[in-house]
Amino acid sequence: MTEPAPQDKTVTKDTSAEPDGGRKAPRVGVFVCDCGSNIAGVVDCGKVREAAEKLGDVVVAKENKYTCSDVGQAEIIKAIKEHGIERVVVAACSPRLHEPTFRNCIQQAGLNPYLLHMVNIREQCSWVHGHEKAKATKKALELVKMGVSKAARLEPLEAREVPVEPSSLVVGGGVAGIQAALDLANMGFKVYMVEKEPSIGGKMAMLDKTFPTGDCAICILAPKMVELSRHPNITLLSYSEVEEVKGYIGNFEVKVRKKARYVHEELCVGCGVCADACPVKVDNEFDLGFGQRKAIYVPFPQAVPLRYTIDKEHCIHFKSGKCLLCAKACANNAIDHKMKDEIVNLKVGTIIVATGYETYVPLRKGVYKYWECDNVITGLELERLLNASGPTGGHLVRPSDGKRPEKIAFIQCVGSRNKKIDRNYCSRVCCMYAIKNAQIIMEHEPNTEISVYYNDIRAFGKGFEELYHRVREEYAVEFIRGRPAKLKEDPTTKRITIRAEETLLNMITEREFDLVVLSTGLIPSEGSKSIGKTLGLTTTPDGFFAEAHPKLRPVETALDGVYVAGCAQGPKDIPDSVAQAKAAASSAAAPMFAKKVTIEPLTASVDEDLCVGCGLCVELCPYGAPELVTVEKGGTKARIIEALCHGCGTCAASCPQKAITCKQFTDEQIYSEIFAALGAEDKKGEGRKKAEAGVS
Amino acid sequence: MAEVEKVFISGLHEELAEDRVINEKDLDPEFAKEIRKYGGKNVMTCLQCGNCTGVCPISLKIDYKTRNIIKCCQFGLKKYTLGTRWVCATCYRCYEHCPADLNPAEVMIALRHIAVREGIVPPFVKIAATNLVKYGQSVKPDPEIDKIRVELGLKPVHADQERLTAVVREIQTLVHATKYDKLIGIQEEVKL
Repeated sequence: MTEPAPQDKTVTKDTSAEPDGGRKAPRVGVFVCDCGSNIAGVVDCGKVREAAEKLGDVVVAKENKYTCSDVGQAEIIKAIKEHGIERVVVAACSPRLHEPTFRNCIQQAGLNPYLLHMVNIREQCSWVHGHEKAKATKKALELVKMGVSKAARLEPLEAREVPVEPSSLVVGGGVAGIQAALDLANMGFKVYMVEKEPSIGGKMAMLDKTFPTGDCAICILAPKMVELSRHPNITLLSYSEVEEVKGYIGNFEVKVRKKARYVHEELCVGCGVCADACPVKVDNEFDLGFGQRKAIYVPFPQAVPLRYTIDKEHCIHFKSGKCLLCAKACANNAIDHKMKDEIVNLKVGTIIVATGYETYVPLRKGVYKYWECDNVITGLELERLLNASGPTGGHLVRPSDGKRPEKIAFIQCVGSRNKKIDRNYCSRVCCMYAIKNAQIIMEHEPNTEISVYYNDIRAFGKGFEELYHRVREEYAVEFIRGRPAKLKEDPTTKRITIRAEETLLNMITEREFDLVVLSTGLIPSEGSKSIGKTLGLTTTPDGFFAEAHPKLRPVETALDGVYVAGCAQGPKDIPDSVAQAKAAASSAAAPMFAKKVTIEPLTASVDEDLCVGCGLCVELCPYGAPELVTVEKGGTKARIIEALCHGCGTCAASCPQKAITCKQFTDEQIYSEIFAALGAEDKKGEGRKKAEAGVS
Repeated sequence: MAEVEKVFISGLHEELAEDRVINEKDLDPEFAKEIRKYGGKNVMTCLQCGNCTGVCPISLKIDYKTRNIIKCCQFGLKKYTLGTRWVCATCYRCYEHCPADLNPAEVMIALRHIAVREGIVPPFVKIAATNLVKYGQSVKPDPEIDKIRVELGLKPVHADQERLTAVVREIQTLVHATKYDKLIGIQEEVKL
């Protein structure tokens, strides 16, 4: 942002520096917006304008059909010049929408951009009181009155520019994270990728084929994984977790815990001799318990980095201090059981959160008997059973006896669209992965009978409907519209009987199946929860990260410099995840290309004469902005590191000495609004003192 | 009698089959609101998944489809829904399983309220209600049973006549005050 231009000649009075008692009234201009019929359809804007004109301090009040339009803005500029307006009140929509517009506008007219106050008479008035027009008008009047009162007390502020570190942290090494990292690295930025598992690849690496085209998931993902690991601009920190993030856009300081994998990454060549020597066999998490691995392992053959990791929980050495067979087998002496966690400190300009999803785990005593019956599996487990590099080599078998299932049922919407378990949303991928898996099974074993129990089939993407059509037409997969009510297992044959209403036939059906696949939905991952806490990101009610705007800012978060990609933001398929990752990379690149960003000057500041150095603010601040410093006069005082301050006001509200002030939200400004609302005059700050006595 | 009873317990299927085309005139757009007024919430949120029908113990015995009735409620097909719905045992199994978190059993109760207010009362309900007002219980006391009980050395069901009279009077006062008797259409002579 440039320096404000010198003020227009008609603006002669400079009142901002005057203390409250001797405050000279600044000249206030009020601009009431109709917003088409959005506001004027409910609020009588003409009446609001008239009333505003009569308020003290107000020298001009105007009404516009669209204040944000060029015409509306021109009128503000004209009024500032003609009437010598020093403070501008715009009664329109939320400041989140047009505050920047009007700040720029008044700056053009020579005013400091922070001498603007927006009164929200749309979201907070006309939209919520649509049925009570008279009352809405009255409320708008009151809000404008409060706004004028505050505006008269606004002080000019200067925005600051800070440099942006040309490097990025990508949290999560699934397909979204991989794509975002590659895009940023190809733009020439340094990228640090942090992945908590021993290998990147995420959930996509577990899948068999991808819908609707049937590409092998790992075949299309592995080249990207390899490219990432070899990219000169990317540092891959696998088996690591983000522990702490400090700072702000352009200047984040990140502490990453590199967990001890007990194998030196630079020495290990991934030959696997150690795993051959290891005597311990445990269930492989990557195969969801169907396959086995050793205590020293790579999760899957195409793992990146192809470096072995010791599972401390199961390794004999960590239990008895003996064994060490792997270390003896390793020709490169890469294995070191004494390895310790390592802390890596990074400085990055932007952060992309791509922490993905987890699949819903069916209830313990639920209707679908996932925990009781062997032959009830989830969709992701089926992916592993169908996968050529999976535990069965791609042969679909019944878990109970290893035989080929002849009749298979899919149950849709398990853990999705269910208010009872607080999962109200549609997981978007279950319909298509069930249809895709039905196709794969039919291709492998054409004699299989498949039934899909569904509520609604959502085949919305490119080529999805065509695939849905094909499995019905070509493979005669049967679709039953109804949610299964009861599952019963035959104790000897282990076959499952499903009772459901075929709602389109209006009949109750009971049918027996060899295998039941639950199409489980997507839920926020544990990794998302922890990084969300570390960064202080907000989530939507479903638990996924909230984007800054659901339509227009889909990859930004409420935190500047932090972007979100993939399923961390909400369930989505691979094409959407990749598209969002590319969008996040491009958004994150913008400030890094610009090399600097403008930071709002709305920060807290400490009056050192009042501060007693109690340190409460230091404890309460979620951003680590206040620090205690020893002053020359002796004693400790709090000081705000402005670059870290987000202006949230927690410190100002909690300071027992009232030593902290939040710029543009000073006590004086807030009390003046309250008094305006109550219809009382706050002359010389008397009312404020009274109110404080009353409040405290 | 049996024929009349059948109308009140059978499902919607036959009724709907008789009318080949549903005319817009037969729809009551305010029906869902009316149901909500009598305690049947969230009717419009039903996904029509059929889980309620599948778990309903009644649906296994007779042609009674919970989902179908809810659909009629959504659609405003009032005329089909009022004659029936007395078979629901309000076991709440449908509510337990419903993913849309609506309570079909309470919708059934609301439908009964509405039906009675429209003067549609099945004979067996009238009989039970009359018994309640007359004897203080919905089943008519049978002297034969008392005889057997005495033979077995047990007290008759209503040994304490005085207390029973007090109870019946209490019920009658309440019934009268709430205009329940008029609503159900209980005859005057029933009263003590």
